[in-house]
Amino acid sequence: MALVKVEDLVKRYTPEGPNAVDGISFEIQKGEIFSLLGPNGAGKTTAISVISTLLPPTSGEAYVNGHDVRTEPMAVRQSLGVVPQDLALYGNLTGLENLRFWGEMRGLTGATLKREIDEKLELTGLTERAGDRVNTYSGGMKRRLNLAVGLLGNPPLVMLDEPTVAIDPQSRRYILDWVKRMKDEGLTVLYTTHYMEEAQELSDRIGIIDHGELIALGTLDELIQLVGQQETLMLQLWQGDGLADFKEAVQALEDVDQASIREGMLVINVPSAEAMLPTVLSQASALDHRNPRAEPGDRLPAPYRPRLA
Amino acid sequence: MRKLWILILKEIRLTFRDRGLIITMLVTPLVITLVIAGAFGNGGSGLSDIPVILINKDEGFLSEELVNVFAMEGVTPLVQLEVAPNSKEAEAAARARVESDDVAVLVIIPSDLTSRLYPFSETAQEILGVDFETWGEGETPELTEAEWQALSMAYVQSQIQTPAPSEPAEVVLYASPDWRISTMIVKSIVTQGLTQLQLTTQGYDAIVSRIIRAQMASGDLSMSDQDNAQAELADTFAGFGGSQGAAELEQSYDLPIRLRIKSPSGRGFSWLSYSAASQAMLFLMFAITSGGRTLLAEQEGGTLPRLLITPNPPLTILLGKMAGIAVTGLMQMLLLWGATSLVGAYWGAPVAVAISMVVLVLCASGLGAFISAWAQSPGQAGAVGTAFSLVAAALSGTFVPRPNMPAWGQTVSLVTPNAWGIEIFSNLQNGKSLQEILPLLGGALALTVGYYILSLIGFRRQFK
Ligand SMILES: Nc1ncnc2c1ncn2[C@@H]1O[C@H](COP(=O)(O)OP(=O)(O)OP(=O)(O)O)[C@@H](O)[C@H]1O
Ligand SMILES: [Mg+2]
Repeated sequence: MALVKVEDLVKRYTPEGPNAVDGISFEIQKGEIFSLLGPNGAGKTTAISVISTLLPPTSGEAYVNGHDVRTEPMAVRQSLGVVPQDLALYGNLTGLENLRFWGEMRGLTGATLKREIDEKLELTGLTERAGDRVNTYSGGMKRRLNLAVGLLGNPPLVMLDEPTVAIDPQSRRYILDWVKRMKDEGLTVLYTTHYMEEAQELSDRIGIIDHGELIALGTLDELIQLVGQQETLMLQLWQGDGLADFKEAVQALEDVDQASIREGMLVINVPSAEAMLPTVLSQASALDHRNPRAEPGDRLPAPYRPRLA
Repeated sequence: MRKLWILILKEIRLTFRDRGLIITMLVTPLVITLVIAGAFGNGGSGLSDIPVILINKDEGFLSEELVNVFAMEGVTPLVQLEVAPNSKEAEAAARARVESDDVAVLVIIPSDLTSRLYPFSETAQEILGVDFETWGEGETPELTEAEWQALSMAYVQSQIQTPAPSEPAEVVLYASPDWRISTMIVKSIVTQGLTQLQLTTQGYDAIVSRIIRAQMASGDLSMSDQDNAQAELADTFAGFGGSQGAAELEQSYDLPIRLRIKSPSGRGFSWLSYSAASQAMLFLMFAITSGGRTLLAEQEGGTLPRLLITPNPPLTILLGKMAGIAVTGLMQMLLLWGATSLVGAYWGAPVAVAISMVVLVLCASGLGAFISAWAQSPGQAGAVGTAFSLVAAALSGTFVPRPNMPAWGQTVSLVTPNAWGIEIFSNLQNGKSLQEILPLLGGALALTVGYYILSLIGFRRQFK
């Protein structure tokens, strides 16, 4: 059963503004680790905010555990834990006080709360510093506490938003191992990151997101195949404003697998760039675009190409 | 309800751990209150040269000792004593000076101090001479038989017919409530004097009983006529059983004097008290509007978004935040009340003050909600909050007494919690009771309701 279901999800921050999330669809199965991989500003945090009911979707649907984020926000919140990208802790409270406060706000009480706190302190290795104010912690310690707070009560779905940024390799290792252990414990994880290696190491499936669009989605093997079998063509128009129409037209062509707009260029995936070029160019002139600049590109931007071990 | 409490507790923790907040919430208003009160004279906080007037109405000789306490080493730097003559005019003048806060305490020693304290003393003084304590060294005075008889009679009478006055004599401290600490100091000095008096009278008792017993032993008394007085005397001593009797006599001695602090019933205007209350209102407004800023901080720091995705209704989170701010505001008021009282400010009858504080904090938090509901951004809310707090404070009479404000200012400022706070506390400081200020509390509550209705409209408009 899909624990998370997202359909044509769009999120705009301002009525006229660009779509921070631009019609993405995916499902996450129970017990799966799913990574959203993408550069800065791709829309990862926005997607998580909508799924966690913090922001209402502009259009499209999102369900967690079968509950609609629009109509049943409380049920959605009940079943998820979020580890935000930026630390969200009370610096003037101690680690223990933070854990207790957030645990109580999640509805934990009594012996359960105490057990959860002890367990999380143990896991984060913060037992000895539990009585110190969070302001006095190192960056890595704060990140670990931030993570622990999101995991209080072991919610069925955990969303981790770039938990490893600005952190030393040792702490990073620690967190990655922790995420793997969550999977062993049957939790479902939505993980976002900049780093292909992390996504590759942790995930059952990976969605690559850029400019709010999912440009690739699949298991590691599927992604490798995609890179291996397909070629990419990048086209730039002299007049920039016709790009969206051009994309529509090209997308409609047979053999064009996917088309997306990246930094002012149209990027299309085709079985063979050489064979496809004439068709695409005639399509351009049909739309009154003279001599678009065309060059071969990569199916996935370099940082998001899977490494072959 | 539980969640609300958890949120309030968190707010209190965070507030009282933030040094900056403590300074703005507590230290600054205290300092300003002291500076203002100091600049306008009647500090009342001084611990030296406390102005005291003393009127001695006592017709006996024992009060001398009480007056002398003020001249003791260690006491002289504390008190600036002025002894007024024992006349009706002088007493009225002295009372007036206490009422105008010119003088901290007027000490009145009652006319019957000596006779109440030691009824026997007059006879003893008459027979043995003024300095009868000189007989303490074991000598026996040379007295005629008639003098012995008179002495013994008077002594026995003083012992067995213990005067049981319905009311003990009172040493009155007529004290200005603005000089609270000073009054406590003067009280302890007078108490010390009374204790000393007690020791002195016990000493006299011991001397006289020793003299009489020595005389009895030498047989002088038994040779005289068997009259009633002798029989009584013998009975008394038989009853107490020798020297042990003397000890018990001393122990059973009880001071028929009490100390009473009285305050002027109609109070004069006191800048210290007025400033304490009006500054507290101003800084309550600061605290509540800066609560809006902590909301911004929580938004930016990510804790508010994190709270909003916990399984709790957003209304609970919002209420928790507001209640947290209100409770810290109330604690601030209570602490300022305590601290300014220590330096002599008077706020009014405690229960009425506490109830008024709750009402006024509610009112201020209504204003806080109103501002954040209509502000375009949290930053704007902070700026508007500060500006409004200051204008409201000035209009309602925080920096000059409210009655001195122009009439339009007094009227217009009724839309601020400050004006109601100042009205309420001024009345309480004047000695008004809770019942008497109920209409004012009602006014503040009506304003509170108004604020909340406008806030709701504002929130609806923003989040529809
Ligand atoms: N509160 C906001 N108001 C307006 N625009 C926003 C807001 N938050 C994000 N955006 C915009 O939405 C787009 C997606 O941002 P988002 O934070 O979701 O990206 P991200 O993938 O999480 O990036 P990063 O890796 O840097 O965290 C960006 O163009 C960003 O400028
Ligand atoms: Mg992000």
